[in-house]
Amino acid sequence: MLKILLQLLIYSNILFGNSYYFSEVRYNFAIDKSVEHKGEIDFFEDGLRILYPDANKSLEYKNESLIYKESNKEVELNEMQSQQIMRYFDILILIHKGDDDLMSEMFEVNKTSTITILKPNGMIKNYISSMELLKDKKKLKYIKLFLQNSDEITINIDDEIR
Amino acid sequence: MMKYANYIILFLLLSVGFLFKDYIHVSTNLLSLFASKDAIEKLAVADKLGYSKEMLIIVKGLDKSSKSKVRKISKELQGIDNILLVQSTLRVSPEVQKYYKEYYPLLANFDDSNQSLQDVKEKLKELYAEQSKNIFYSAIDKNDPLKLFSFDNLNSLNISHKGEFITLGDYGYLIRVSTDVSASQMNKAKELYKSVNTIVSSYEDVISFAPFYYTVENSTKIQKDVRWILVLSTVVLLFIYYLLLKNIRLLSHTLLALFSSMVFAALTSTLIFSNFNVLSLAFGMSITAVSIDYLLHYYFHNFYRSNQKIDKNVLYGYLTTTVAFGIFALIPIPIISQISFFAVMSLFFAYLLFTFVFPHLELKEYKEKSQLKVSRVMIPAYVFFILSIIFFIYSGLNIKLDNNIRNLDYQNTKLREIESLVKQHNTSKLKPVIVQAKSKGELIDNLHLIHEKLPDSFSLASFMQSQSGCLKKQNILGAYDFNRLNKMINEESSLVGFRDNYFNSAYNFTQTIPTCQVDNFDIFKSYNLSVYQKQDSYYTMALISDIETAKEFGFVTSIDVKEIFSQQSKQMYKDLLLYSLIVVLAIFILLLFSVKKRFIYALNYILFPISLTLAVLVTFVDINLMHLFSLIILIAIGIDYGIYMSNTKKLSNTMLAIKYSILSTFGAFGVLVFSSITALNSIGIVISIGAVTIFTLIKVMK
Repeated sequence: MLKILLQLLIYSNILFGNSYYFSEVRYNFAIDKSVEHKGEIDFFEDGLRILYPDANKSLEYKNESLIYKESNKEVELNEMQSQQIMRYFDILILIHKGDDDLMSEMFEVNKTSTITILKPNGMIKNYISSMELLKDKKKLKYIKLFLQNSDEITINIDDEIR
Repeated sequence: MMKYANYIILFLLLSVGFLFKDYIHVSTNLLSLFASKDAIEKLAVADKLGYSKEMLIIVKGLDKSSKSKVRKISKELQGIDNILLVQSTLRVSPEVQKYYKEYYPLLANFDDSNQSLQDVKEKLKELYAEQSKNIFYSAIDKNDPLKLFSFDNLNSLNISHKGEFITLGDYGYLIRVSTDVSASQMNKAKELYKSVNTIVSSYEDVISFAPFYYTVENSTKIQKDVRWILVLSTVVLLFIYYLLLKNIRLLSHTLLALFSSMVFAALTSTLIFSNFNVLSLAFGMSITAVSIDYLLHYYFHNFYRSNQKIDKNVLYGYLTTTVAFGIFALIPIPIISQISFFAVMSLFFAYLLFTFVFPHLELKEYKEKSQLKVSRVMIPAYVFFILSIIFFIYSGLNIKLDNNIRNLDYQNTKLREIESLVKQHNTSKLKPVIVQAKSKGELIDNLHLIHEKLPDSFSLASFMQSQSGCLKKQNILGAYDFNRLNKMINEESSLVGFRDNYFNSAYNFTQTIPTCQVDNFDIFKSYNLSVYQKQDSYYTMALISDIETAKEFGFVTSIDVKEIFSQQSKQMYKDLLLYSLIVVLAIFILLLFSVKKRFIYALNYILFPISLTLAVLVTFVDINLMHLFSLIILIAIGIDYGIYMSNTKKLSNTMLAIKYSILSTFGAFGVLVFSSITALNSIGIVISIGAVTIFTLIKVMK
C-alpha cells in the first residue's frame, strides 16, 4: 500500500512538476556591481519553490501565501516585501506556463523565433521597463529583467533536474 | 331626471377629474409609505453617496479556474453601460497612484530626528552591504536612501483578499461593480440587471447580487400577482352580486355608485395629499366595497320603497365607521393615514348615493322568498364577550411583532439566500454611517475624530489628514533641512562605494509640498467613498465597527436600512396601538348611543372577530403591520353588522343583508389570501378568518 502511495506521489511530481537549476545574476546600477546566486526552482500546480542551497534559504509560494525559511526555520517577511515577491513570482509562473492570453493582457509582446520581448502594461511598468526571454527548442533558457532604476536581473535556466 | 342621477354624478366627477388632471399626483415610491420623511432624506443622501449602487459578482472557489473566470467576467463587464468601475483586485487606480505620489510627503510617516554625518555614513554602509548580501532583490529608493519616510498601506484594510484578488471570505473571489443606477430608476436597473445576468449565467458557480435586484425581480412578480388578484376579485364580486341580487339594473347601479365613490375619493385624496400612493389607492378602492352593506341593508329592508328619509341603523353604522377611519387618518403612518382618508371619502360618497340618490332610481321591490332558518343552538352574548377577553389575553402573552418591513414584500427566497451568503462570508464587519459637516475640511476632521475613537474605521480619513495634522506636517517638513541632508548623502555615498551622483535627487520631493486642501474626492470612488453637497452641508460615508459609539458624535447618522426600518416599525406599532385605543374608545361611546341595551351584543361583532383572528395569528405567525391594519378594516365591517343586528326589526332580512355583505367583503379582500406578497396575503388571511367568525356570530349568538 505504502509503495503505491509513494509511486503515486512520484508520478504526480513528474506530471505536474518542473524543476530546474538556475543561476541569477543581478546587476546593481547603484554600486555598479553584479552578484550571482545559484539555486533550484521548482514549478508545481499553482505555485513555485526556490531553494538557495549555498545560503540555506528557501521560498515557497503556494496558494497565494509565501513561506520564507532560513536554515529550515520560518522567517516572517513584512507585508510589502512579501507582496512584491509574490507579484514577481506570478510573472515567473506566467512565463513558465506560457499562458498567451494573460501574457498579452499584461504585456505588449514582441516575438522573434527565439527571443520574446515583453513590455508591461499595468502598474508593473513603474518598476520593470522590459523583459527578455530566450527559448531554445521550446525550452526556456533565460529571463532578463530590465528595471526602471537601471538594475538588471538575469535568470539563466541551466538544466532540468529530472 | 333623478332616474339618471347616478350617471350624471359619475359624469360630473369624471369631468372634474379631467379638468384637474394636472393637479393629481400619484406617487409610486413604496418607500415613502413606510418610512418617515427624515428616514427617506437620509436614504436619499446615502443613495447620492453611492450606497446600494454597488453590485457584487461572486465566483465560487479560490482556485485557478475561478481566478480565470474573474478575469474574463471583469473584462466582459467593463463593456456595459451604466457600469462605472469593475474592481477585482486591490490594484490602485492610476488616479489614486497619482494622488499618493503628489501627497506622499504629507501622507507618509516622517522620522524628523536630526541625522548626523555619522548616522548618514552608517546607514549608507548598511544599504551598500544589503545589496550583495540579500537573497531577495529589493530596489534602492534613491529618493529616500535613509528610509526616513514610511508608508502604511491603508487600502486593503476594508477588503478581504487572496493575493491581490478580492475575495468573499473563504467562499470565493469577488468582483465589485460600481454603477450609477439606483433602485428608483426602474428601467435603467432592469437593463443593467439583464445585461449583467446574461454574462454571469454563462459561467458555472458564479452569482451576482445587488440591493436593486429586489426591486427589479419583485416588481415583475408583484405586477403579475396584483393583476391576477384583481381579475380574480372582479370575477368573484360580479358573480356574487349577480347571484345575490339577481337584478341586473340594481347591480349596474350599485357598481356605478361604487365606482363614483372611488372616483370621488381618488380625486379628493390625490388633490389633498401631495404624495398619495398608488398602493393606498388600490387598498382604498377595496375598502369602498365595504359600503355595499348599506345598499344591501336598504334593499332587503325595502328602504327604497318606504317613505323613510334615513335608516338610523345604517346611519349609525356609517358614522361609527367614519369616526374610526377618521381617527386613523390622523395617524403619522403614511400608508394607514392615506388609506383611511380614502375610506372616509369613499364611504361618505357611497352613503350619500345609496341613501339619497337610490330611492329615486325606481328600483324594484325586494320580495321575500323564504324565511331564513335560525340556528337552534343559541349561545348568549356574554360567552363570546368572555371568550374575546380570553383570546385577547392569550394574544397579548404570545404576540411577536415583525419589525422587518421587508418581510411584507414579495418573498424572494433566491435573492435572500444569496444575500445571506454574502453576509455570512463577509469578513469585514464594518457598517456604513453618514457623516455630515459644514465644509469639506470639517468633514475630514470629523472623520478623523471617528478614526481616533474607532481605529478600524474606513473612510476618506484613511487617505487624507485632518486639517490640523496636515498643517503640523507641513511645518515639520518646511523646517527640516533637506538640502543639508542631500549634500551629506551625496558626499558620503561616493566614499561608501555608490556610483557618483546616484543620490542626486535624494529628498527633492520634499521641495514641493502640496496644500492641505484636497478638492477632487472623485478619485476615491473605487473605494465607494465620495462627498455629496446639499445646500450648506457636506456628506460622506464611513465604514465603522460600532455604530452606537460613533453615534455619540452629533454628526454621525446610521444608514443601516434594516435598523432604520426596524426603528421605524417600532414607532409605527406604538402609534398604531395608541390610535387603535382611541378608535376603540370612540366606538364604545358611539355604540352606547346607538345600541344602548344590546351594547355587549353589538360590541361582540368587533371584539370577537378581532380577538379570535389575533389569537389564531399569534399562534402561527409574527404579526406584521398589515395584519394590524386589516384588523382595523375588520372593525369597520364589524361595527355595521353589530348595529344592524342589535337594532333589527326583521332579523331574517338583516341576516340576509349581512350574509351577502360578508360574501362581497370576501370577494374584495378574501381573495388576497392567494397573493404571494406578504402584505396582501396578510390582509387576505385576517379578513377571511374575520368574515367566517362574524358569520358564526350571526348564526349562533343571542
